[in-house]
Amino acid sequence: MTTQNPDNLSSNKNEPIGFISGGGLEANLQVRLTVPAQSVQSGAFVVMDSGYWRFYGLVTDLQLGATDPQYANQLNIHRFDPALASILNKQTLFTNLAVMPALMLEIGPEPGAPEYSQWRGALSKEPTPMPVKTVPDHHTPVRLADKGDIEDIFGKESKTVFRVGETREQGHAVCLDLEKFVQRSSGIFGTTGSGKSFLARMILAGLIHADKASTLIFDMHNEYGIDSTSSDTGAAVPGLKGKFSSKVRLVGLGADSSFHGRQPDFTLEIAHSDITPDDVLLLAKTLNLTDASGILLDALQTRYKENWFSTFMDMKSGEGAVYTDEDGKQHPTEDSVAAWANEVGAHVGSAEALHRKLRALLSRGYLVKEPASKALDQIINNLQEGRHVVLSFGNYEKDIDYLLVTNLITRKIREAWEKATADFHSKKGDEPRPLVVVVEEAHKLLNREMASQTIFSTIAREMRKYYVTLLIIDQRPSQIYDEVMSQLGTRIAASLGDEDDINAVLSGLPGRGGLRGMLAKLQPKEEVLMLGWGVPMPIPIRSRRYDQIFWDELLGDSNKAKTKEDALRIMGF
Amino acid sequence: MNEIKTIPIGKLLRADNRQFVAGCRVKELETPALGALVKVRLQDQSEVYGLITRISISDDGLVRQLASGMSIPPEYAADNRHNRNLPVEIEVLTLGFAQDGKLYHQLPPRPPLSLDVLYLCDDAELVRFTGHGKHAYLRHILRLQEMPVEEILVSHLTKARQAHEAAGNHDWYPQACEQLVILLREDYPRLTTVLDALSAMD
Repeated sequence: MTTQNPDNLSSNKNEPIGFISGGGLEANLQVRLTVPAQSVQSGAFVVMDSGYWRFYGLVTDLQLGATDPQYANQLNIHRFDPALASILNKQTLFTNLAVMPALMLEIGPEPGAPEYSQWRGALSKEPTPMPVKTVPDHHTPVRLADKGDIEDIFGKESKTVFRVGETREQGHAVCLDLEKFVQRSSGIFGTTGSGKSFLARMILAGLIHADKASTLIFDMHNEYGIDSTSSDTGAAVPGLKGKFSSKVRLVGLGADSSFHGRQPDFTLEIAHSDITPDDVLLLAKTLNLTDASGILLDALQTRYKENWFSTFMDMKSGEGAVYTDEDGKQHPTEDSVAAWANEVGAHVGSAEALHRKLRALLSRGYLVKEPASKALDQIINNLQEGRHVVLSFGNYEKDIDYLLVTNLITRKIREAWEKATADFHSKKGDEPRPLVVVVEEAHKLLNREMASQTIFSTIAREMRKYYVTLLIIDQRPSQIYDEVMSQLGTRIAASLGDEDDINAVLSGLPGRGGLRGMLAKLQPKEEVLMLGWGVPMPIPIRSRRYDQIFWDELLGDSNKAKTKEDALRIMGF
Repeated sequence: MNEIKTIPIGKLLRADNRQFVAGCRVKELETPALGALVKVRLQDQSEVYGLITRISISDDGLVRQLASGMSIPPEYAADNRHNRNLPVEIEVLTLGFAQDGKLYHQLPPRPPLSLDVLYLCDDAELVRFTGHGKHAYLRHILRLQEMPVEEILVSHLTKARQAHEAAGNHDWYPQACEQLVILLREDYPRLTTVLDALSAMD
């Protein structure tokens, strides 16, 4: 919410569309519509001036009414003279709006009135919009918010105030304060084909452009970093690397990664020594590990410290791991899994099973004994220095890769940022750079089962004080653990079909009834609903298009596509 | 107060604030009609306006005798009609009054007195009275009990509409209908009956 100077408040430019006829804070305000019903849509942002206050609300429903149901139950036009029927319908049939009041702002007397200067003088600070605590009077005129009203509430577009889209009725810009957006974890939701990825690209472009926080994007499907083509239209879709080449580091997973001929800035290999037993336990389901595995992994780590994985993997098992003594008895060789199991008193069968199952990790090309470079540190350094990192998974698109790598990197990040924050508080270092970790397919990491094990639920819950927040991008919010969902500050939802998903997006928010209907009726690829702590009040909008115009507007003239003639002219021809 | 240009149609028999009854001879009966606007000038020069809601002809002993006779020569019937003892009664609903040149769609402070003369208003006066204010006088008509309100309304609105349209005002009738709807919309059966009657009006 922006601080207001009432002198600058917008004057009532829009004509009233109706008047308050009843209702309340809990049950929504009732507004008798005085204009044709089709000139207002559910989700419209309306403004009501009553006394010294301006109220802001959202139309959540339109209901047809009649002074007596009998007037509505017959076609008056067929019974009466058409002119009389028209008069009758006008006086007996009507539309009521249900308006969810959201905010109120003290505006004082009319500027210019004698008591205005007295009121201004008595103000201890500029009034700001606050959650609504009272109601406008009966018969208060209701009008659609104009450009100024929307700027008063959602802010005016600037480098850090990002225009997400426009109001549906009158096309006024609706913005998102990115500084506030990154202060808490947030989520972008929508079914496949709802325009969620384009929306995410735009928000990310806005975040990178605003430069208030670093972003680490786990790009599972290689769609954010590099240029690609739209699966729907076949049109070229610019990636973030191409548009912000100096600010964005494109990192490929595995030494051999490249993307359609584009080389990454550097590649990421993970040393075996970086893997912890917890990382492995996270994959318990994928690797089909038993309950006993935890004890075995702990035993390995206690014995071999950070080298536990490579040491364990180097152990032998199976036929080559036994020798026969002079008496003809078979014994495990010294370097075998069985020998180690016997030594620590573990069940040999379980140890060998674990050994066999962990071999699956060896086939992952990015896990190496000795990485060629310290790419993991490089990622963290880049982020701390204010750059943005897109980690593209390349060909490693399996769940096992996503779970292991995201968790491992994020764990490292958590350690780094916790240390930086501690240093900052003990005045040994600068304030840490805020970081947004962008997680796609978040339900894989944050479902009920995994949430307790992965690092991400911790980040969603408490890393805010360590300057790290999450940006979750997902199509099944209902699969995400409730506790994580309720922690999300800002939620931007594109169309969602499933009732459970809709409920999940609205969890922990007031006025859910009205918002539910609004969310269910969003037009795919066109409209989104912004809600939650990061926006002053919920609002459905027509989202911006992710196209050349978007980039021109965001980056200015420098980004304008050059025509062949322009290029030749620049080259001196 | 202007000189009365309108036509005298009878003299008052009895009156109260809400309504009054005038008597006239059968000969004079050709002029007044149901739903017509009439007025009575009082001694203080104020005028009370009303609407004709009923015209009745009572019988007397002679009429009964004549009616029960086998056959009556036409001159007997004509004589009885023109020289009868009892007048034709015209019942008038009070709609408003004029005082010191101002019109009011309210009940007058005092009713007219007996033998005051009842006049039929001409079109100009009809336009002036009904065009004043926002059709508030209609409420008096709707308050009528045991009367064919729809018929009275239709007769009145037909006359008034013609007068207004002849004077170039085509908005008056729709506005009057709108006011009727507003006054009657809580009473669905009554309003629809009125609208049915108005729809049938040509």
